[in-house]
Amino acid sequence: MSDLLTEHVPAPSGSAGSRRVWRRLVRQPMTMASIAFLLLLVVVALIAPLIAPYDPLAEDFDAVLLGPTAEHLLGTDEMGRDTLSRLLYGTRVALLVAFGSVVVAMAIGVPLGLLLGYRGGWWDRLGSRAFDVADALPGMLVGFAVITILGRGLLNLIVAIGLIFCMSFARMTRAVTLAERGKLYVDAARVAGLRTPEILFLQVLPNLTGPLLVQGAVFLGSAIGVEAALSFLGLGLDSEVPTWGGMLGVAANEQAQQPFLPFPPGVAIVAAVLAFNLVSDGIGDALAGERRKPAGRPRRPRTGAAPVDGARAAALVKGAPGAAVDGGPTRPDAVLEVRGVTVDLVRPEGESVPLVQDVSLSIGRAEVVGLLGESGSGKSMLARSVLGLLPPATRLAAGSILLEGRELVGLSERQLREVRGCGIGVVFQDPMAALSPVHAIGSQLCEPLRAHLKLSRPAARERAAELLHRVGVEDPKRRLDDYPHQFSGGMAQRVAIAMALAAEPRLLIADEATSALDVTTQSQVIDLLLDLREEFGTAILMITHDLGVVAESCDRAAVMYAGQIVEIGEVKPLFSRPRHPYTAALLAANPSDDVEVERLPTIPGGVPLAGQWPSGCHFANRCTHSREGCTQHHVPLADDVRCLRANELILEVLKR
Amino acid sequence: MRKLVVSRLALAVPQLVIVAFVVFSMTYLVPGSPAAAILGASATPESIRQVEAQLGLDRPAFERLIDWAWNALNGDLGVSFVTTLPVTDMLLQRMPATLSLTVGGMVVALALGIGLGVLSAVRAGLPDRVIGAATSVGLSIPEFWFGMILLLVFAVELGWVPVVAYVPLTDDPLAWLRGMILPSIALGIGAAALIARQTRGAMVEALASPYVDTLTAAGVSRRRIVLRYALKNAMVPVLATTGLTFRILIGTSFVVEQIFAFPGAGRLLLTSVIGKDFPVVQGGVIVIAALVIALNLLIDVSYGLLNPKVRPQ
Repeated sequence: MSDLLTEHVPAPSGSAGSRRVWRRLVRQPMTMASIAFLLLLVVVALIAPLIAPYDPLAEDFDAVLLGPTAEHLLGTDEMGRDTLSRLLYGTRVALLVAFGSVVVAMAIGVPLGLLLGYRGGWWDRLGSRAFDVADALPGMLVGFAVITILGRGLLNLIVAIGLIFCMSFARMTRAVTLAERGKLYVDAARVAGLRTPEILFLQVLPNLTGPLLVQGAVFLGSAIGVEAALSFLGLGLDSEVPTWGGMLGVAANEQAQQPFLPFPPGVAIVAAVLAFNLVSDGIGDALAGERRKPAGRPRRPRTGAAPVDGARAAALVKGAPGAAVDGGPTRPDAVLEVRGVTVDLVRPEGESVPLVQDVSLSIGRAEVVGLLGESGSGKSMLARSVLGLLPPATRLAAGSILLEGRELVGLSERQLREVRGCGIGVVFQDPMAALSPVHAIGSQLCEPLRAHLKLSRPAARERAAELLHRVGVEDPKRRLDDYPHQFSGGMAQRVAIAMALAAEPRLLIADEATSALDVTTQSQVIDLLLDLREEFGTAILMITHDLGVVAESCDRAAVMYAGQIVEIGEVKPLFSRPRHPYTAALLAANPSDDVEVERLPTIPGGVPLAGQWPSGCHFANRCTHSREGCTQHHVPLADDVRCLRANELILEVLKR
Repeated sequence: MRKLVVSRLALAVPQLVIVAFVVFSMTYLVPGSPAAAILGASATPESIRQVEAQLGLDRPAFERLIDWAWNALNGDLGVSFVTTLPVTDMLLQRMPATLSLTVGGMVVALALGIGLGVLSAVRAGLPDRVIGAATSVGLSIPEFWFGMILLLVFAVELGWVPVVAYVPLTDDPLAWLRGMILPSIALGIGAAALIARQTRGAMVEALASPYVDTLTAAGVSRRRIVLRYALKNAMVPVLATTGLTFRILIGTSFVVEQIFAFPGAGRLLLTSVIGKDFPVVQGGVIVIAALVIALNLLIDVSYGLLNPKVRPQ
């Protein structure tokens, strides 16, 4: 341990209200227990003379190196001194050195860090050389050097340990100050006429409190460890004085005669350091608030855990035909047939909230179907359910997914693996994030080739180069060895498309595949997808929020709103004569560059969050045509539109 | 690649120069005169003057600095006050044991830390919680105390390994290896806990990355994604702190070697600190600092191999 942990303390950012932080702390049982234990240690240190059964220095040569006995609960050392009493007194030195050295470290480090961070420029460059020195020297060696110069003693020990730690405080303070310096309020304070030191101490220091507390707690523990090590080596206090490290030094010499000796001081050190570390973790968590939780706690990394377990899945499939009523007639030539799919988000409290509700959709051979909707409509969730790639805490609650007549719901992970890549390929939104940054694209492109087509390494490489060439990457052989960051966004997306099509899947899901690209690149990528459709006969599910993309590329389209498909049909009639008010509103809100409008019509309100969907029609609260009946009953998809007034409304689309 | 090495060297050289300057200044920081500090209670004005002359303290500081730096560059770190042996020889003699121990500790730390970290990230629930708790304890255990307990259990009680551990590698590689086991575990335990924590965090993040979805969607097996893709990505932040870990392990090895009677630099430095043998302490600091800087250089360069983004194009 020693200074291990302290070197890596991350500086938590942001400051929450201190009362809120405290309330979060109180809710952490481990942190509270640790704080209680540390307070107990402080009390023990204070009243050691009252509770110690013996004088810690009293020697008794009739009772040397005893194990635990009734008179000496923790035994005695080589001079017959009572271990329990020395342990209790040792708390004093441990805490004194811990708090003293952290105070010294902060007293040097914080002002230095403030200065460097605030002044910047040459001050910073010169001062940062001090960090270089700290980077080259092990803390223990610094301790050795300081004690060589100053000699032994309590104060020198505190100074030595403080010097070991001060650079970490300086570094952290500098980083926080640099960040704060850039913020507006420091400028504002300067304008208000405050002088530099005032700005530093009044404005920046409060923002430092959190990080300093977190780091300080770790260093308190670390100081106990370093003190123990130095005392153990005989560089700490006089061997007479009871210290935990000194007791371990005796234990190391006498271990052969009395193996119990190392345990009491060792356990005391571990417990004290652990308590400080846990307090630090607790404060860090409380400061970070709930944000840190999802990343820190297990996120159920089993991505593949899409559907329900086997038995449940079978039941679902049996129930599927009933659920599929909404979806209209099944198509015998369908590549993909989604029936009555419902995806639930399972809240930590166990309650289920639907994200996708009873969606049915079919895609024919070589057909391009658009899935259109605002963010939050559930379109990507639907795509993920098709792949068995639902994120943690979501599950497929009902429905059936048929790929060329084969049921995918309930397949094992191994069976799904054969479907993925080979039956269904996917292209995601952000091409840079979709490729591993530290692997050459060739190695990633070869994965599906080797997994599905069982190609040898050289054959896979050969084929990968052909694929790259096919999607329009120049000099494909050489580029196989390049990394994603060496590609432009559009080129990287071509690589991702090549990877998705490598095993010649029957269906390609393009999940916002063109949204992150600029308009020109977007068109090129769409053209490429359509070409590939011609060439391989691949059906495409084009998920997008962009009406233009749908108009440009799709044969049919489904419009999703708040987890439901609200309208589905051929693209041309859908766009020229929308039958659902939401479709009409979407079309009206879509800016078109050949029409000058004074103000862009937008749909008032936003997509309701999952769990807050209105009863009846989900769109009713934003719909200009809604009337009383709309919110009373579930609205079914009838004749490809989910609107009670579909037959009476004549929806106008702005002339475009 | 060569550019990377050159650019890192350009940082390392001034770093070493500054450390050397700080170390040189050490003797001037001693309250009173270092000569008096060395002689202690028995000091007389006469003997103090004698020792000062011996130390060269009677000469101008600048002149001494140039001399000292020139000699250090030529591998001459002066002569020990106590043994009158050349400091360079004394230190070099100790380096094999110190390096053995440090590297052994690093191997344990990486193997155990990465293994447990990965396991913790892919096995949510009980395994993750158990490893998490073990990590917290591991970070709180003083390495030298852990060494004492290991020695007590495996050498004294069970007799599986020899109590006196160190055999030079060149004498008997097998005995060297056997002697390395307990000390390496003792030294590496804290760093292992730290690396396990880092690895877990980095793995959880890596496994939640879009490229994992891409690979999964391409039909690549989970095992292959975890071990080949996520792990390499997760190692980028972990390796970035390895240099730091090395430095800390060297320092901690000075304490751990006492437990296992390793003839490393720690023991030499310890007696020199107590005996106020300035040239040896100064030389030790310089040599260790140079070692740390060299190791960091090595790690930074291998970091470039792992992370293509830091490679100059």
